Amino acid sequence: MSQPVVGERKPRALNQRVLLLGFLVVAPLVAVLLLNLGRDPHVIDSPLVGRAAPEFTLQPLDGGEPVTLASLRGRPLVLNFWATWCVPCFQEHPLLVSAARALGDRARFIGVIYEDSEEQVQGFLARQGSAYPSLLDPGSRTAIAFGIFGVPETYFIDAEGRIAAKHVGPLDAASLEAKLRQAGLSP
Amino acid sequence: MTAALGRNLVLLALLASTVGAVVGSATAARGSAVGWAWTRRLAYLFAAAMVAANGLMVWALLARDFSVSYVAQVGSLSVPNWVAVVSLWSSLEGSILFWGLVIGGYVGVATWANRDRHPEYMPWAVAVWLACGAFFAFLLAGPAQPFQTVSPVPADGPGPNPLLQNHLLMAIHPPFLYLGFVGMTIPFGLASAALLTGRLGHDFLRPLRTWLMLPWTFLTVAIVLGGWWAYEVLGWGGYWAWDPVENASFLPWLTATAALHSALLSERKGVLKGWTVTLVLATFLLTILGTFMTRSGVFNSVHSFTQSAIGPTIFVFLVLALAWSIALLALRIDRLAAEGTVEPALGRDSLFLVNNLLFVLFTFTVLLGTVFPLLVEALRGVQMSVGRPYFDRMAVPLGIALLLLMGVGPALPWGRATPQQVRQALVPPLMGAALVTAVAAALGVRRPWTLLALAFGGYTLQVTLRELWLPLARRRARGESLGRALVESGFLRGRRRFGSYVVHAGAAVVIVAIAVSSTMGTSREAQLKVGEKTQVGAYTLTFLAVDEVSEPHREAVVARVGVSRGGRELGVLSPRMNQYERQREPIGTPAVRSSLFEDLYLSVMNIDSASGSLGLLAMVNPMVGWIWAATALMALGSLVSLVPSRADTRP
Amino acid sequence: MKRLILAAAVVFVGAPFAVAQDAPTGAEPSRVVGAPRGKALDGDALAARTEDVAGLLRCPVCQGLSVADSPATMAVNMKGQVKELLAQGYDQEQILAYFENSYGEFVRLEPPLRGVNWLVWLGPVLALAAGGVIVAWTLRARRRAGSVEPEAPLPGPDTLPDDPKLARHVRRVRELAYGWPDGRPPGTSA
Repeated sequence: MSQPVVGERKPRALNQRVLLLGFLVVAPLVAVLLLNLGRDPHVIDSPLVGRAAPEFTLQPLDGGEPVTLASLRGRPLVLNFWATWCVPCFQEHPLLVSAARALGDRARFIGVIYEDSEEQVQGFLARQGSAYPSLLDPGSRTAIAFGIFGVPETYFIDAEGRIAAKHVGPLDAASLEAKLRQAGLSP
Repeated sequence: MTAALGRNLVLLALLASTVGAVVGSATAARGSAVGWAWTRRLAYLFAAAMVAANGLMVWALLARDFSVSYVAQVGSLSVPNWVAVVSLWSSLEGSILFWGLVIGGYVGVATWANRDRHPEYMPWAVAVWLACGAFFAFLLAGPAQPFQTVSPVPADGPGPNPLLQNHLLMAIHPPFLYLGFVGMTIPFGLASAALLTGRLGHDFLRPLRTWLMLPWTFLTVAIVLGGWWAYEVLGWGGYWAWDPVENASFLPWLTATAALHSALLSERKGVLKGWTVTLVLATFLLTILGTFMTRSGVFNSVHSFTQSAIGPTIFVFLVLALAWSIALLALRIDRLAAEGTVEPALGRDSLFLVNNLLFVLFTFTVLLGTVFPLLVEALRGVQMSVGRPYFDRMAVPLGIALLLLMGVGPALPWGRATPQQVRQALVPPLMGAALVTAVAAALGVRRPWTLLALAFGGYTLQVTLRELWLPLARRRARGESLGRALVESGFLRGRRRFGSYVVHAGAAVVIVAIAVSSTMGTSREAQLKVGEKTQVGAYTLTFLAVDEVSEPHREAVVARVGVSRGGRELGVLSPRMNQYERQREPIGTPAVRSSLFEDLYLSVMNIDSASGSLGLLAMVNPMVGWIWAATALMALGSLVSLVPSRADTRP
Repeated sequence: MKRLILAAAVVFVGAPFAVAQDAPTGAEPSRVVGAPRGKALDGDALAARTEDVAGLLRCPVCQGLSVADSPATMAVNMKGQVKELLAQGYDQEQILAYFENSYGEFVRLEPPLRGVNWLVWLGPVLALAAGGVIVAWTLRARRRAGSVEPEAPLPGPDTLPDDPKLARHVRRVRELAYGWPDGRPPGTSA
């Protein structure tokens, strides 16, 4: 065993400095990883929930006067961003149509078309049925303003125009009802 | 039947490694020859079981045996055979099985190579290796089983992710990556053995360095291959995006490079032994962190596998490995006594410390940036991003500093350098710097960081070439012919030195090429109809035609673009847009024309065969090919320096 | 470094314009970030700045790429909007704030200088300083240790160990390494 030539330091049983340093370096890392286990990093919370919904003025699919957000106030609003090429949108479409019909005047349903052609949408609605207007969003400016990551995404806006809730992915009956209540739908 | 056999092989590997770890530890504590023999046998058994399990899986993939769960998951009747083999590592369970193959191979070879040497260290080392192997065998037996039986047997499978079938590079990038990553287990075992015995002498520093440099070589190649794959396949024209999984492979590379330099100083001067061992342990720990980052689903990355139960399991192993390393260091680091001193003045010794400082700082910065979004999420509940702009900003000064250090360090003599020696060493290479800078300025380079990178690159290359030339010059002075001098000084006698300087030369070129390619490129976006032209750099591009191509696993729309420069026709490039059955968005494949100094890179943004319209992204990327070529040079230099000399083969 | 200070200045000056929790939202950028503060761009300068600013935004779909690099339709649309806003004269911080209003801090690829984010910018600087201190201390410690007089005189080229066998080996090594006949320095007798 080689003898220390210079800088002799009596070897202690436990080098406390190393222990402390190691712990200080490692503990925050381990804590951060542990706290994030189980969370899906691709799902991003919307910063718009709880704030006034962005204003828009969009042309309806079947022509007519442009629709503004202000004109839709007074009732809870379900704003559904969708497209015909999106499989989950196809899955949730019947639910939205039947809910719109069932709720009648108690809530308003509006679709916003995301990156699609008019003919495709018209053909789809003709085949699958529609119960509420869909608006065209050229260049997806409104989708960007609403912070859309993909489709389908649905915003639930209350009577005063504040965003009460957001739903990412296809809607199911339970979520639709729960989030409509959050937007102030009277039972 | 196949699945059951595979399961049994995995259990055999688990048994062999667990028992072997125990026997090895007992042997090391008591020093028994019989114990050592059995430890070795169990190590070989572990290796054999893993090799056999992998061989079985490859056979099952080729035979399209869908009764095996992993084959049912990634196999397909409609993919070519090479894709079937490559699917071994394309999905989670298979990649763990492949990890098992590599660790089994390394443990087997490393045990055999050291069977008659370093008797006081080796049982500890093998025990640690087998403990790590046991963890991966446990994963294969528990959370990530590839050999489950599927009943009823499906008729076909979905095939691997289409992105992974696009390019041949997919076949070689993961194996190189695993050979690098997993290989870091071996120096981890050796470093642990040094700490456990309380000794790290000259005799053991050599194998530690060798077994660190071998996986380092593979990891270097793997990281650059990943960049090359991204460049050739993804279509955005870049090769590195600082994605968390990319960073996961880069972090251990940084500490391993620091460890290689620190080990050299330890070998020569007998100092910094504890620090070298710490760096080696950190390298292994970063590989485990890296695999956690890739497989846990906690990090937002395009590369990550889907979430599964494996994340928490790897996390537990990571915590255990961290605890083991810190405890071992705290208990034993003081016993690794220094045998000399680092010269406190300016000289090569002290610059080794600067090297380590820069590499560790780089590691810290990349790790901080990668983990930071998770920290903010935990503290503020807000999701934020630390992306490419941040990392580029941090990496540029660090890379350039390292480039300069590669020149200044080897220029100075060992030990204390007198001011006169410093001047004699550091002033002449300024000529190289000035020459390269002048040429660059003449070619139109104006950006300050790029010019600085080129200047430092010229400086470092002159120093490196001089160091490579010196032993040649001495032999020539004694009358040897040039050819014989080259062979003797480079390959027969001074391999370590020669190989190391070749690696430095390659690394300098890589850094300069990265600087030039990321700042001196031009690009153009154009919407073209058939017959229209556009210009990018010196090239004229003509949109000739649209073709539709049907392949078994994808439909593609191909743009035929004619390329000419200075009136001379250079050929036709065919970038394409591929539509895979399972993906919504089509995935483009770029077309790249590489020449000596630059790449012409074409990518399809949008294409419509009906209307004959093409949205084309055209780029001229200078010196990109130099990155790949210089990396190959680094690998060759490293392999040359790894060939063992007589000193290594003595017991 | 200069860009870092500039960015900090812009952020601090622009802080009053930054989006607060209850700021009015709206598809019109002026509602979110106010009137354009910069110069309206066009031509090559517009194209170059579009790439720059789009490079600082994260594609919400292909989350690994910037809006400048991503081929996704959403990214192409966002890039188009960046171009529009630059043409109208909005400056970089306003444009980034506009997208942050809709998508959250996630969409900014470079962490803005607020709150705990300072840690990621200052961390490497502090680490460099700490590392420099450690290296300097290590060298000073070595110097201090190296200046301690050893108890026995250090061996020189003409001294040999007492043990004759060891001395023989040392002489042989010197013979091979330095070419000294019989391992003794030239000019010394046996």
